[in-house]
Amino acid sequence: MMPSMRSFLLVAALWSGALPAADLRVAVLVQDAAQVSLRGDLVPSSTPGADLVAFTDELAHEICRRIRSRCAFSYVTFGEILPGVEDGSFDLGFGNFLRAPKREKRVAFGEPIFRSASRLVASPATARAFAGKLGQAVTLDNLRGARVAAMEGSKQQEFLDAIAAERELSVVATATTAGAFDALRNGRVDFALLPIRTGYALISHDKSRRFGFVGPAVADHGLGDTVHIILPRQKEALRRSVNQAIAEIRADGTGHRIMRRHFPVILD
Amino acid sequence: MPTRPERYPANRLFVLLATAFALLFAFLVVVLAIDQERVRDLSESLQQQTVPKIIRFQRLARNVDQLRQEGERIFSSDTPEDRQQSLYLVMLIASHPSILEHSQAATAARDTESFLAETGRLAAQDPATLRIQYGEWQQLSRRLSLLVDDVLIEGANLATADLEGAAAAMRLTRYKLMGATALLGGFLLALMILLRRHLLRPLEKVDRALSSLSVDRPAPEFPDGSLAEIHAIEEATKHLHEAMVSHDAARRELQLLANRDDLTGLMNRRHFMESATTELRRAQRYGRSTVVALGDLDFFKSLNDTYGHGAGDTVLRTFAGLLTESLRQSDLVCRYGGEEFAFLFPESTVEQAHILVERFRARCAGHEIQLPDGLVVRVTLSIGLADASDCTIDLALQRADLALYEAKRMGRNRVVVATEAA
Repeated sequence: MMPSMRSFLLVAALWSGALPAADLRVAVLVQDAAQVSLRGDLVPSSTPGADLVAFTDELAHEICRRIRSRCAFSYVTFGEILPGVEDGSFDLGFGNFLRAPKREKRVAFGEPIFRSASRLVASPATARAFAGKLGQAVTLDNLRGARVAAMEGSKQQEFLDAIAAERELSVVATATTAGAFDALRNGRVDFALLPIRTGYALISHDKSRRFGFVGPAVADHGLGDTVHIILPRQKEALRRSVNQAIAEIRADGTGHRIMRRHFPVILD
Repeated sequence: MPTRPERYPANRLFVLLATAFALLFAFLVVVLAIDQERVRDLSESLQQQTVPKIIRFQRLARNVDQLRQEGERIFSSDTPEDRQQSLYLVMLIASHPSILEHSQAATAARDTESFLAETGRLAAQDPATLRIQYGEWQQLSRRLSLLVDDVLIEGANLATADLEGAAAAMRLTRYKLMGATALLGGFLLALMILLRRHLLRPLEKVDRALSSLSVDRPAPEFPDGSLAEIHAIEEATKHLHEAMVSHDAARRELQLLANRDDLTGLMNRRHFMESATTELRRAQRYGRSTVVALGDLDFFKSLNDTYGHGAGDTVLRTFAGLLTESLRQSDLVCRYGGEEFAFLFPESTVEQAHILVERFRARCAGHEIQLPDGLVVRVTLSIGLADASDCTIDLALQRADLALYEAKRMGRNRVVVATEAA
């Protein structure tokens, strides 16, 4: 390359702010085991929760661009993200984490990116059967004697574990939300307790059309609130940069545009 | 005994006033700063809390409206798959925390979801059910639309309340600022009035008093001032006037002593000559007649020799007393030397003066003078008169002297008028 061309590119890079301030290792949540280690834009749309992965991946790329960092992305299951951020393997974790005191002791949370709640997913037939047994429509508050799947390490699993003995619940922990949904499809569980967005993504793309939400959505018991990016507690400067980037993409509409590309409705 | 008005040292008073002003100013600054802080807090609250709340209400309204739109889509969809997809979205939207945390929206969303789920289930068995259900859906849809409006208004009202609070705080701040300005203005006005009343006007009075300070005027009077320093200046001015009067009296006394004869108290010769010269010039300028005279006590030397100088002095003093009593106030008389006396009669002709001195000569001759040792003597007087209307005082006195000589020669105790030729 000619020296003048190199100088031009260097000046252009400086001018555009494209030079990375730091290298960051970023963990992006996948919804299905088949998506692990695939790049977000290469995840087959036919795989469960592909829209969610693509949304999370694009959001992660946008945040990296805004904080002017060169990011190395890892596509991992939910259970790997928080420990990885805690032990410094990852600098940013895009896992749609609900804020919780126990988690806050381990990692730092960025500003909210959207809000979520949890809801049971089951087939209408199962819901009717349990309603018959319970004498009322099934809700998370009256569910008893059922097999319930939830993603390992999630607040949903934590909640189910906490009430399992009292409610005679059999909790099945899966590595991914798609795994929980698979357990439901395979009849290994009666219900799956999932985040609403994930639940929607899975049931709306399920060709069998056998499943739907059951009972009301729940936002209490730590099962719903704002959803965050996590990062190491000691990286305060990075947290400030990420928060600034979140504020910017919310203010200029980029967040909504990303959401709109991957979901039929904007729900933040 | 009148009570002495209380006076304050000006420097302390002004330090006190300056301190009071500084404290008042600081107080107002603090009050305004508190108000400013309140406005800042309100605007921060608007930015940090109310605006996010408003955004939440807007999102909730948007979500409720999306719920309604998806419901509409269920009724307008041609295929069961599309209806199912819309139903999933209805479920997703109805599950969102923004809807769950708003009781009205949560109830409406639950009702909507269960109605649409039932409609979907029935439509899967018989698509014609959609038409039957549509009337009920329209009511539900209207309810959702009204809810959207209510939520938007609820959000807008949050801003209205906050903005009204901020406006009220700013209004209050404005009133306080106006009050503070008025208070400061009043303070400055009062300060200026006090300065004028207790400092500038007294100084002006002192200045006027000093400018017109004179022994011919009474001592300046000053009203009782409040400031010790001003009072000191006023007292100093009064003392200055007293000193001027005292010095003037001393000067007059000295002048009197310099112009009088010690023994007789009459004018001395030097003063007589000055006064007579001045008077003669004035008379000659206006063409007035003036007469001079020289008188000499007859046989005074032998009286001295016979009775002693003490007796001579007594005679001279008594004679001077007679002169002072007999002559007009405008006439000048002095002890010209020894027992010799000089006269000047302004506004008098020789004839008039002659009558006057003749009358005096007669009175003198008949006046008994008691000496210190109890003896009684009489003395006579010889007088020479001369017209001074057209000559100098020296020449006129020279003529009068010749006439006096002639009176002596003619036997004394008489008045002789000098002739022109003499």
